[in-house]
Amino acid sequence: MVNFTVDQMRSLMDTPEQIRNMSVIAHVDHGKSTLTDSLVAAAGIIAVTAAGDTRLTDTRQDEQDRCITIKSTGISLFFHYPLELDLPKDSGDSRDFLVNLIDSPGHVDFSSEVTAALRVTDGALVVVDCVEGVCVQTETVLRQALAERIKPVMTINKLDRAFLELQLEAEEMYQTFTRVIETANVIMATYQDPALGDVQVSPQKGTVAFSAGLHGWAFTLTRFARMYAKKFGVDVEKMTHRLWGDSFFNRKTKKWSKSDTDADGTKLERAFCEFIIKPVKKIIELAMSDQVEALEKLLAGLDVTLNNEDKQLRQKPLMKRVLQKWLPADQALLEMMVTHLPSPAKAQKYRTELLYEGPMDDVAATAMRNCDPKGPLMLYVSKMVPATDKGRFIAFGRVFSGTVRTGMKVRIYGPNYEPGEKKDLAVKNIQRTMLMMGRRTEAIESIPAGNTVGLVGLDQYLVKAGTITDEDTAFPIRNMKYSVSPVVRVAVEPKNPSDLPKLVEGLKRLAKSDPLVEVSMEESGEHIIAGAGELHLEICLKDLQDDFMNGAEIRIGNPVVSFRETVEGVPNPESTAVCLSKSPNKHNRLYIYADPLPEGVAKAIEDGKVTPRDDVKTRAKYLHEEFGLDEDAARRIWCFAPDTTGCNLLMDRTKAVQFMNEIKDSCVAAMQWATKEGALCDEPMRNIGFHIADVTLHADAIHRGGGQIIPTCRRCLYGAQLMAAPRLFEPVFMVDITCPEQCVGAIYGLLSRKRGMVTEEQQRSGTPLWILKAFLPVVESFGFTADLRSATSGQAFPQMIFSHWDVVSGNPLETGNLAYEFCKSTRLRKGLKEAIPDISHYFDKL
Amino acid sequence: MVFYLIGLGLGDEQDITLRGLETVRWCARVYLEAYTSVLPVDVARLERQYGQRVMLADREMVEDGADDLLHGADTSDVALLVVGDVFWATTHQDLWLRARRRGIECAVVHNAGIMNAVGVCGLQMYRFGETISLVWFTERWRPTSWYPRLAANRQRGLHTLCLLDIRVKEPTEESLARGKPVYEAPRFMSVAEAAQQLLQVAAWRRERRNGQANPTNDAEAPEPYCACAEAYTAQTLGIGLARAGQATQQILVGTLEQLARAELGPPLHALIIPGELHALEAEFVATLPQVSGRQ
Repeated sequence: MVNFTVDQMRSLMDTPEQIRNMSVIAHVDHGKSTLTDSLVAAAGIIAVTAAGDTRLTDTRQDEQDRCITIKSTGISLFFHYPLELDLPKDSGDSRDFLVNLIDSPGHVDFSSEVTAALRVTDGALVVVDCVEGVCVQTETVLRQALAERIKPVMTINKLDRAFLELQLEAEEMYQTFTRVIETANVIMATYQDPALGDVQVSPQKGTVAFSAGLHGWAFTLTRFARMYAKKFGVDVEKMTHRLWGDSFFNRKTKKWSKSDTDADGTKLERAFCEFIIKPVKKIIELAMSDQVEALEKLLAGLDVTLNNEDKQLRQKPLMKRVLQKWLPADQALLEMMVTHLPSPAKAQKYRTELLYEGPMDDVAATAMRNCDPKGPLMLYVSKMVPATDKGRFIAFGRVFSGTVRTGMKVRIYGPNYEPGEKKDLAVKNIQRTMLMMGRRTEAIESIPAGNTVGLVGLDQYLVKAGTITDEDTAFPIRNMKYSVSPVVRVAVEPKNPSDLPKLVEGLKRLAKSDPLVEVSMEESGEHIIAGAGELHLEICLKDLQDDFMNGAEIRIGNPVVSFRETVEGVPNPESTAVCLSKSPNKHNRLYIYADPLPEGVAKAIEDGKVTPRDDVKTRAKYLHEEFGLDEDAARRIWCFAPDTTGCNLLMDRTKAVQFMNEIKDSCVAAMQWATKEGALCDEPMRNIGFHIADVTLHADAIHRGGGQIIPTCRRCLYGAQLMAAPRLFEPVFMVDITCPEQCVGAIYGLLSRKRGMVTEEQQRSGTPLWILKAFLPVVESFGFTADLRSATSGQAFPQMIFSHWDVVSGNPLETGNLAYEFCKSTRLRKGLKEAIPDISHYFDKL
Repeated sequence: MVFYLIGLGLGDEQDITLRGLETVRWCARVYLEAYTSVLPVDVARLERQYGQRVMLADREMVEDGADDLLHGADTSDVALLVVGDVFWATTHQDLWLRARRRGIECAVVHNAGIMNAVGVCGLQMYRFGETISLVWFTERWRPTSWYPRLAANRQRGLHTLCLLDIRVKEPTEESLARGKPVYEAPRFMSVAEAAQQLLQVAAWRRERRNGQANPTNDAEAPEPYCACAEAYTAQTLGIGLARAGQATQQILVGTLEQLARAELGPPLHALIIPGELHALEAEFVATLPQVSGRQ
């Protein structure tokens, strides 16, 4: 641990070149938190006043019980760059570095926490278990990182397992490692962003480390290359290249060669195995067999001495101590991160265009690009952290430009703020700025650009995330896009009716504390919590009950899923499926038809590739050329809905009709609500294009106001939906199951009973484990983990992540199929009539 | 039997015509249409005067529940009382058509309406052009399609009657879109508000000509609005008419600028923008109360 006063720490923050903001990301159970712990133990910064506290990363009780990380936690590390090394190019003159590290959860259900962590960092340490290799969540987080232009470095972790548990041969280990690196590089190549430059990782470049988080040791090739460079008398870089790949050493002739056999045909040992794996293995063997003296002799040659206390240790503890002394994890990893990950100053040059919504040449964008502490304040709050005083929240975020000060007056943009309008905007003073160190906080006067910060006093104005600025003309920083959707929902109610106010207040706080969770109220008065998966919901409910409602008991309903309503479309809808609705005064008539949007459009909208803010002409061209959306339709999009950004479109297809611009707003308002609560079962619509074919309007504005047009348009949209062969979408999970071979059969059986479909099945090379990938409807996933456990006697472990929306077979308007049953149960739950209203409710005769 | 549409006139329960009163008395059911205009007296006074139970028919009833309204009109007589004159509100035509479609005979008892009551301002009825209605601008809905029509009237030297927005039992925009009505409090546009709105539009047109963006319905505003000649200025004469036909009727003449600050008391209001004044008209108008105070 490094003891610093707040002032010392603050002085480190002034030079962006000396800062590295990075997150640790990985698949669940690949050892992120353990690795982070060993870093913190060696290099964590704690304020002098706080020294003596037992644990800085004061983790939650449930996190420890379950051995998984639930919330991302930030921690600051201090690294003094070794004197004998050249400083990395991207830094100032000082050898002191401040590393702000965020440990993120690995379970898919919490990947929204990863998104929030990535937003405030510039680099990522990707941890991969050397035995399990690259897993589904590794891929997800890597993709998220690259989409945010976060530069990755990798560490192959749990080397101790390879040595002790699997007892792999040196060459086998090398093969395993190369495979891991190759798989990761393939993923990175797929999602690569040219602006980020080369992101491929390789041990020769020093961007891959090898670590054993549990035992606290790690190394990079550079570490060994430096050692051997002296011995062989070649420079470090050449040595590094010799230590990886097809490079072999002939002990007899003391020569390097490119092939694995020498002139006589005898097998040669790979350099990596000969010079790295073997010595490590030797030490492990000696330590495990308690040959302390032999060990001491060997270590003497490596400049490592053991003290008396160390010599008392036996076996595992001894091995741990020796390797920690020889190859300290913090040195290897911090050196790698400081050398290869960008400083805020460097990263913001290419991240600004992705982050900032406004023009790239305005004052805010310029300041962000330059990471200018004297520029206008641009700060993004990525999550809300519960404060120690119950009920309040600290806004956690990153300063991209300017300096944030206690008491400063700022503009707060919520996620729905639109430049130039007053919606979702507040102007308030920051009560206090804080330094966030794990769960501990320290008040601090100011924090300059490039650092993370905690802000007190904003929790009333920000729900989950938002932009903070002091520049009137600044545009907001782009909202975060989560890779998971809240598709699993439960209803909650207080056991004791008098606790209802507590529940309502508790739900508000829950919505704040978690980036993804959605709370809402149904028409029937039910309170609904929506989360990414069962585990996510379980944690949310526990938080709600214990932390946000002070232990008042709640009753939890059965989990339900949200559906999406869509249409299959009918041939020639413009002539066969046009719905006519008349306004209440009968003087206005709307003619609308619906058809499904071309394939890919909904995805493009959800991924933010097509947005309502795009330039109309470029967007029309893109939609027409890329997806084949009708040119005229693409050019005349009135709105995206629901919530002005959803993936349903309303298009004006009328020809030469007067006053269309005067009814546009009424139609848009109707569209927003109608798509939020569709005709089938009040669920949101998805992937529907509504075309206004024709209108007849009254000549006088007063007779075609909102009162006449909105309800008419709403009815007409519903009618059009029902006439275009309505269908239901259900959410589908991608399940990733790792299991021993003998369980595969049982899993197939279980999956087929639950309407699942296996898409991929392969053996993980080098292990007896099989990996199954399958699609499983979310409806069927409740209790799946438990069923799987009992079917395989606990040997299979599933990871479920929302994959896509899939059409439920059957016409929901006819009885006797699944779609109808889903509609019915949803309608009943919402307190609606069982039958879907007849088309005559919406369609008026001429 | 017969479905009667009976005009009540503009004043109070006493303004009904003799024929109207007799008709009301023998009808089986009597409704009062209460949203296209409002009567300054309450229903109880009508009931006392006519000796009949009078049911209120609000917007929903007339527009969506017309079936209830017409129910039984084929076997007994039903009357719908209308403030002012019949057929002025667009829904009356619809009702008439629907009744006819059901084979119900319809009859009309006329009365005075705002269209002839404006004569009190001294303007000749022959010289009125197209009537326009002004609606409240909202954040996003700012219809200006009346402008070219006002301009056309002015160009031809015709008078223009501007009817002003009334919102009685109007559902809020959100509730309309969700299909579950929640109502706003009733509001009536005053002459001052109307004049302010006219001036506002004139200002937007100026800005637009100068190439500045303005908050009318963005770039899509129809050509006529931009292209037509200037219809009026702040100095254009206007006549404010409040509670026409009632005992407390009030008239005020002034420029639009002056009217924008004038106070004409409780609703209903109407605004008249005179065209070219005939000598006699000018003489009449000069006798009306002026904003500046002189008679």
